[in-house]
Amino acid sequence: MARQLKITVDYNVCVGNAMCETFAQNTFGLNEDRQSYVKDAAGDPEETIIEAAENCPVTAITVEDAETGEMLFP
Amino acid sequence: MVTTFNENLFSPEVVQDPYSYFGRMREEDPVHWNDPYKLWVITKYKDLVWVTRHPEFFSSEVFHRDPLPPYPDIDESDMGLYEYVKDFFSQWFIQHDRKEVTVHEGPDHTDMRKVIHGYFTPKAMELWRPLVQSAIKQLLDEAEERGSMDVMRDYATPLPLLVIAAMMGIDVTDRQFIRSLAEKLLFIGRGNNDRMQPLTEGIMGLQEYLAPMVAERVKNPNGDLLDRMTDAHRVGVMSQEQVVANSILLLLAGHETTINLICNGTRAFMTHPDQWELFKSDPAGRMIRATEECLRYDAPVKSITRIAGDNLELGGKEIHTNERMRWFVTSANRDPEVFDRPDDFDIERYPNPHVAFGSGIHHCLGATLARLEGQEAFKALAERFPDVNMACDPDTLTYTSSITFRTLERLPVNLS
Repeated sequence: MARQLKITVDYNVCVGNAMCETFAQNTFGLNEDRQSYVKDAAGDPEETIIEAAENCPVTAITVEDAETGEMLFP
Repeated sequence: MVTTFNENLFSPEVVQDPYSYFGRMREEDPVHWNDPYKLWVITKYKDLVWVTRHPEFFSSEVFHRDPLPPYPDIDESDMGLYEYVKDFFSQWFIQHDRKEVTVHEGPDHTDMRKVIHGYFTPKAMELWRPLVQSAIKQLLDEAEERGSMDVMRDYATPLPLLVIAAMMGIDVTDRQFIRSLAEKLLFIGRGNNDRMQPLTEGIMGLQEYLAPMVAERVKNPNGDLLDRMTDAHRVGVMSQEQVVANSILLLLAGHETTINLICNGTRAFMTHPDQWELFKSDPAGRMIRATEECLRYDAPVKSITRIAGDNLELGGKEIHTNERMRWFVTSANRDPEVFDRPDDFDIERYPNPHVAFGSGIHHCLGATLARLEGQEAFKALAERFPDVNMACDPDTLTYTSSITFRTLERLPVNLS
């Protein structure tokens, strides 16, 4: 059973580049302001979600282990 | 109220001080029809962000879709060259939309961008910081020996050129040659009636230079940026000719805009001594926010174009399919609805949601690289030459006559 992730988007910096959605389309979507939102924190495998966060051009996405709080990205 | 504007966007007063001109437009007629150019001029932050985040209504396939002749006019005898230039620029991935709305055949913007996007992530770009630092050290050593510096000629121009050349595997001795060709491509933002001539020369020269390098990468992959671009051919997203065209884009965008960031930022510091004092007190600690403020306050790129993809309403105006639009970073970054004291240069400003890199799916691919180079350039200048000051009256400095780029012609400084 995969561990649960806590995924956060910083709306002070998100520019709606949508790369997160491109890389992990079952996890990220765009809200009505066309900024990223998490539609399902378990939508894709963990490595896919981390890859999506890495590909955010403004490092707006943080990924933590929901249980331990361990920072997985950045 | 009837508002009149000087519609010549290349007139010296608009070029010298775009802030007054586009600022007044933002307040009085934020979605303005420029009749001589048949162009919607978008100046409000909120409208710019809306446009950039709704690419389904506003096409980036500007060269491909624009039904009208170029603005300002070009020489009648150059219309053939214009077709050539249009076909070339239409190959750039930034001139492609997403699948749902594109008029291009084949792979779309996301398919193309995804191939090289990973090269430019914040994590990947950090690996280049040491190279940027050593390039800066070398340039400042040379300046110290001379005792003076034209920031444009001796610092802002060579630094980004050196970095992008290193990334693309371009020989160090070819940098000046590359620069002279790249300068011809900048005529895209200028108003000269004969601008198709230098544009064509620049395109052909760079194609001739880069095509054999791309062909070499096809045979012998080496992992550099040019090779990563060539991946687009390997995975069937671009033809080899398109790879060359997009490599020219990377080469050009990889240095032109950063030149302006370093030069305009240095000018802002020099004309705001209190902010320079503050910056000097902790360059490493302040470089990130200070660079963001340089990007906001006097952005390297003034405006970007779109073509309306639909009939729609914006700011109370009826916009029709295939009409031209141009949104101005210049006025959006000074919009009082978003920024307190927008005309103040404040290096501690946070948050600072400026739109110097645009927004949405076309947000600048090289933003992280530009930021890194700006941060290191300002930090090193403050650490090495804390007493640097302007060597001329700032009011005598002039800008290149461009609708697209905010480029100083020179910026002489005293190092002590």
